[in-house]
Amino acid sequence: MNANIVRQFQEKHESLAGIVHQVSGTNEAVEKVVAILQDKTVEKIAMAILPEEFGRNLEQQCAQNGMEMFKPPFDNAVLPNAFESIQVGISWAAFAIAETGAIVEFSTDDALRLVSALPLVHISVMRAADMIGTLKEAATPIRNFYNENSLNATVSFISGPSRTADIEMRLILGVHGPAETHVIIIN
Amino acid sequence: MSESAFTRLHAKIEKALGEKSKRDALYTAMKRGRDNRRKAVDLLPGGEGFRKEVRQTKLRCLAKQDELVDRFAEKVRQRGASVFLAKDAKAAIDYILKIGRERDAKIVTKSKSLTSEEIEVNQPLEKAGMEVIETDLGELIIQQVHEKPFHLVFPAVHKTVADVAEIFRKATGEDIPDDADAVMKAVRRFVRPYFLNADIGMTGANVGIAELGVIVIETNEGNARLVSSIPEVHVCIMGREKIVETVEDALQMMLAHPISAVGQHLTTYETLMGGRSPLGQGEGNSRRESHIIILDNGRSQMLKDPLMQDALNCIRCAACMNICPTYGVVGGHAFGYIYPGPIGIPWTASVHGLEKAGEFAHLCVSCGLCKEICPAEIDIPMMISAVKDRYSKLEKHPLVNRALMAAETMAKMGSATAPVSNWAMKNQFFRAQMEKYVGIDSRRELPPFRRRTLAQRFDKRGASQVSHPVRRVAFFADIYANYNAPELGMAAVERLESRGCKVLMPPQQGCGYPYIGYGDLQRAKKVAEENVSSLAYYTEQGYDIVSTEPTAVYCLKVSYPKLLNGSRAAVDVANRTYEYFEYLERLEAETPRDNRLHLAGNHFGFHIACHQRALGAGAHTIAYLKRRGAEIEVIESGTCCGMAGTFGLKKGMLGYELSQAVGEPLFQAFKDSGMQAIITESSVCKIQLQEGTGLKVWHPLELL
Repeated sequence: MNANIVRQFQEKHESLAGIVHQVSGTNEAVEKVVAILQDKTVEKIAMAILPEEFGRNLEQQCAQNGMEMFKPPFDNAVLPNAFESIQVGISWAAFAIAETGAIVEFSTDDALRLVSALPLVHISVMRAADMIGTLKEAATPIRNFYNENSLNATVSFISGPSRTADIEMRLILGVHGPAETHVIIIN
Repeated sequence: MSESAFTRLHAKIEKALGEKSKRDALYTAMKRGRDNRRKAVDLLPGGEGFRKEVRQTKLRCLAKQDELVDRFAEKVRQRGASVFLAKDAKAAIDYILKIGRERDAKIVTKSKSLTSEEIEVNQPLEKAGMEVIETDLGELIIQQVHEKPFHLVFPAVHKTVADVAEIFRKATGEDIPDDADAVMKAVRRFVRPYFLNADIGMTGANVGIAELGVIVIETNEGNARLVSSIPEVHVCIMGREKIVETVEDALQMMLAHPISAVGQHLTTYETLMGGRSPLGQGEGNSRRESHIIILDNGRSQMLKDPLMQDALNCIRCAACMNICPTYGVVGGHAFGYIYPGPIGIPWTASVHGLEKAGEFAHLCVSCGLCKEICPAEIDIPMMISAVKDRYSKLEKHPLVNRALMAAETMAKMGSATAPVSNWAMKNQFFRAQMEKYVGIDSRRELPPFRRRTLAQRFDKRGASQVSHPVRRVAFFADIYANYNAPELGMAAVERLESRGCKVLMPPQQGCGYPYIGYGDLQRAKKVAEENVSSLAYYTEQGYDIVSTEPTAVYCLKVSYPKLLNGSRAAVDVANRTYEYFEYLERLEAETPRDNRLHLAGNHFGFHIACHQRALGAGAHTIAYLKRRGAEIEVIESGTCCGMAGTFGLKKGMLGYELSQAVGEPLFQAFKDSGMQAIITESSVCKIQLQEGTGLKVWHPLELL
């Protein structure tokens, strides 16, 4: 059942050096994000498109904590360099796959991809109800997304921090993408 | 004619054998690749079954490749990206140069693309004044030192941390310590400005989805996300064979590729891209474009070539490289041109030319392991034989290969002239001459010939009277059991008879595998036809075929149907052929027997012959011996013992020397195991293991 696959996802994702937090409700999710940010004494964050209630709530809390927020719509003229001073990127996952430990993001704007691709820390938030069990099951939401978007559209699977083993087969995190990733699952 | 490719190959092998640290690094990388793959595949619900599914999908898409290319191109265009069908490397490069000129491009960032390396695109771009930066760390490292990749997935595996630190000290001017983490941080700083300021971002595509007009790009580092999003111009170079039909097909490939390559379920980042998305809002977006270059460069020719077609099913995982015994010793600089390793041989022959493939094709010793690990179940060994065969029209088979292909003729003569022949085989002078003029290493202790072959003994004895036979067996002896160890052959026959089988020895010749191994497919086919014709006569009457020689069983079950295009007779013979102990197990399951523990107290190390990996991997033999009380442990290095049939008998680099280097880890494993003796069913592995470990080597029948 859903609780099982959420647990399965957590185990798999953590084995890939990702950090998983389970929370109840939007407010707790916002609190969790803020806690992570405070812990790192973050000054500047970037946000992708977030669901209304969660996004508003988060913006409020971040403002109260004196954090600068870089959010959509992004101005092409200042991209990509505006991201260089961003320490943490926060985005929303459309769904996640328990079997492989991947979260999946949909976007039709590449600037949103930069939110999870450039900063050293990435936090993604999702609803437990959007967890699916197997990779095969991902075909349906992907197909639907591409049918709904007949022109440009990108699907991004992310399974933990960026990594390489190209030097002496040693595993190193944070090569070009984030070195630290958090997934917050709202039960 | 100019200097022989074989001479050049010997020199390359010699050089590689001298580079011990590179070899060790490669061995570690390959072993880890194999082990991680094993761990990950064992966790899949269907285990190895995924390979069969991948093959089905690939074959379906191969059958409609042209249609899929058209469908994909149309969908891509509908999404607003450009499509260019490049017939060859030049066309692709010209197209990209044109874009570069039109956009006055200065910086090109690249994520890893083997197809871009296939067409060697970097140099022309640099000549045209663009700075090209590989952003995949392994590729970046070798780009900095102007080397070719040593391994497909880990191109810089031969470089130590100290090497890499030095490379980036030079590139950045920073004082970087010899520490992997510090190097990584320096690399991140070094490449960042390139990511941010690139004019063109060039990617490959692991898969193209025809249904959606979408490409899939896999990375672990996240570099492809930056290469495909930031620059105004995105260029993708992909082979036309990468296109599959549906999302489901694509997801299958997205799993099969990293699991086979490195034992990961998925790569850290999988990017499915359709069309060209804007970067934020604003006028700058009007200049953003995406070009998908679908490359032919020999692929549509391959599609028409019944022997090379199978290579189009390759998903570039390099699992074949991780298990290839000779690649594991010499690496990608000797064993490759641009595409290295086993699958690199048919690919090089098809897209870079037969001569280039001929430069390293004979590094393949036809052990067959690549086929057993390939996620698309590609019959790589047979394609390599075809390349060797075709290449032999450009450069004749070396004498030693020709002599070994005619092994049965030599065995016949050896038996006919025994014991004089055996005296000669032990005579130093004779062996020195044989080494000099034929090319067989004089150090190799060859099994003696017996005057009365198994066939002759059988003739003399006649088929024994078995009343109410439970089974009827046509015994296939192959060379060793016929000419060198007829007592073993007879013991095998008698054991079957004691279990109620009527046993015949039909007219036959040795299985002929050396013709396949060295690449004379015409002769191989002839032997196959003759043997199948003779054996089919018996299978049609309900006889089973049993052999004590693993390679012969492999040949009958796997190679002959391929050589004879799946003829009914070949398939029948294949279906009715059994390994010896597999057959005994079946007999005993039907009529249980003799379970006295007369082997109790013995510890043996079991060696699985490579060709057995496609059959039962020795499981039946081990079970049989265990039931008689023996303690058996499989000792393996994960790859070949190095003998590879007759390969290890040959003098020189492309023979004995390479064979010893391949076998080293296995010899050590056996010596370390503390086992009293080695058991193997292969007559040739026996020679290698005896000499390499100093331990006694038994055929299981010798114990019983």
